[in-house]
Amino acid sequence: MFDQIVMALLNGILLGGVLALLAFGLNLIFGVVKIIHMAYGQFVMLGFYFIYYFYSSWSVPLIPAMAMGIVAMALIGVLTQLLIINPLLNAPRLNQLLALASLIIVVENLAQVIWGADYRGIPLSMPIIQFGDIYVRSSFLLAFGGAILTLLLLYLFLNRTYLGLGIRAVAQDLDMAKAVGINPKVIYILTLATGGALTGLVAAFFVPIYTVHPHFGASFTLMAFVIVVFGGMGNLLGGFISAFIIGIVTSVTAVLSSAEAANILALALFIGMMMVRPQGLLGTES
Amino acid sequence: MLNVRDVNVFYGEFQALDSISLKIEKGQTVIVVGPNGAGKSTLLQTLAGLQKPRLGSIEFDGRRTDQMEAYQVVEHGISLVPEGGRVFPHLSVLDNLKVGSYNKAARSQADTWLPRIFELFPILAQRKKQRAGSLSGGERQMLAIARSLMAQPKLIMLDEPSLGLAPLVVNMVFEFVQTLKQEGYAILLVEQNANKALKVADYAYLIESGKLVFEGSSEDFDKNPYIKTAYLGL
Repeated sequence: MFDQIVMALLNGILLGGVLALLAFGLNLIFGVVKIIHMAYGQFVMLGFYFIYYFYSSWSVPLIPAMAMGIVAMALIGVLTQLLIINPLLNAPRLNQLLALASLIIVVENLAQVIWGADYRGIPLSMPIIQFGDIYVRSSFLLAFGGAILTLLLLYLFLNRTYLGLGIRAVAQDLDMAKAVGINPKVIYILTLATGGALTGLVAAFFVPIYTVHPHFGASFTLMAFVIVVFGGMGNLLGGFISAFIIGIVTSVTAVLSSAEAANILALALFIGMMMVRPQGLLGTES
Repeated sequence: MLNVRDVNVFYGEFQALDSISLKIEKGQTVIVVGPNGAGKSTLLQTLAGLQKPRLGSIEFDGRRTDQMEAYQVVEHGISLVPEGGRVFPHLSVLDNLKVGSYNKAARSQADTWLPRIFELFPILAQRKKQRAGSLSGGERQMLAIARSLMAQPKLIMLDEPSLGLAPLVVNMVFEFVQTLKQEGYAILLVEQNANKALKVADYAYLIESGKLVFEGSSEDFDKNPYIKTAYLGL
């Protein structure tokens, strides 16, 4: 039993890393563009299908297919900004929310029309690594390592480059950012491209773990949303911490009880947080 | 250098500026005084490109700027120190300065300018790693002025830089304005503290309810009996 809990804890940490990466893009888009990207999980699904398509229909080797999937999703991110978000920048909140929510329906049905409702996947056998009595799937370890590395690179990008500085300035005070010489349109496009590329990257990490179907993204939209709100919307560090909390709580509960109980507990935790601290873990009251 | 002609600005149906015209020559310090809500901040925001005039034209350094976006106006040489400073609270002091040099022309000179800025504002050098949100009101105002210098402007616009500051700090801010003047910058200063502002001004405008009601030199302002009683408290 003790080994099982240690293993669950370890898996929770590994899951937390991937969830942190998943939530990062959604959080960044909200923080910078002040838009809730309702179809974020669906973009992960789309990224997964792209990789699957490039690999199986165009016979591109797996790693290049993943890279192409990431680029394709970055482009989809840019298109989302240009075609959907830009025209609605000054629209009422509800309109923005509905437009992006309807994107869920568009993307899911598009996937169904193109690839059908079947479960699709790329069969890969990745070894299980053993440390004493503890077993870890290498696919999880790889996803975790990749996620942490990516988050580190994103941190450096945001803190060490002029573009990163521009992104942070726009997130904090849009008018002042314009007044110091930043073109917010460029920053928005860059942000959505980054967010899009991240959905592609998360999809690449999911390839050895899951199979994909048109409704694959829904649970990830919810998960990312819960993490972002739990941590404090727009607060990147808050999102990072809450991803690990949610990851560990769900993994450990799943071992002690069941996967359903784990989801219930995670969402109960979320509701509790909203009652006690509506602004989230590290969010500031507004 | 700056030539504003018959500028009209509206917020919806409300007219904030009514046919405002003003001029600033190279190296000149011009002040705009007037009561709260007269449209002084709107004027600066319009000149900065954050508001678009419905009528009228703004010409700066040989080019029309009234239809430019704010980020293009900065590149063209006008930088704004808004009311309260509006530093980026979650960025460090150093990052606030760096972001001031965001436009392409200024960026390449940022490294050579930072030491000069720190010489001018030693307190900012001491606090460069601190979050700007943790600075005192006076320090924030200095950071905002320093940030605007990082943009390599020809004209600096200051919106009520002494607002809410302790009298001693207000004196310091006006000393900085004096320093900027000696460095050769053109300055457009908006102030409620008309007494102090008139001392540094080469030329002054009075705005009431969005309209220009008086203009002249500091002496003209001092001599005008209406301004004397309403604004100078004499």
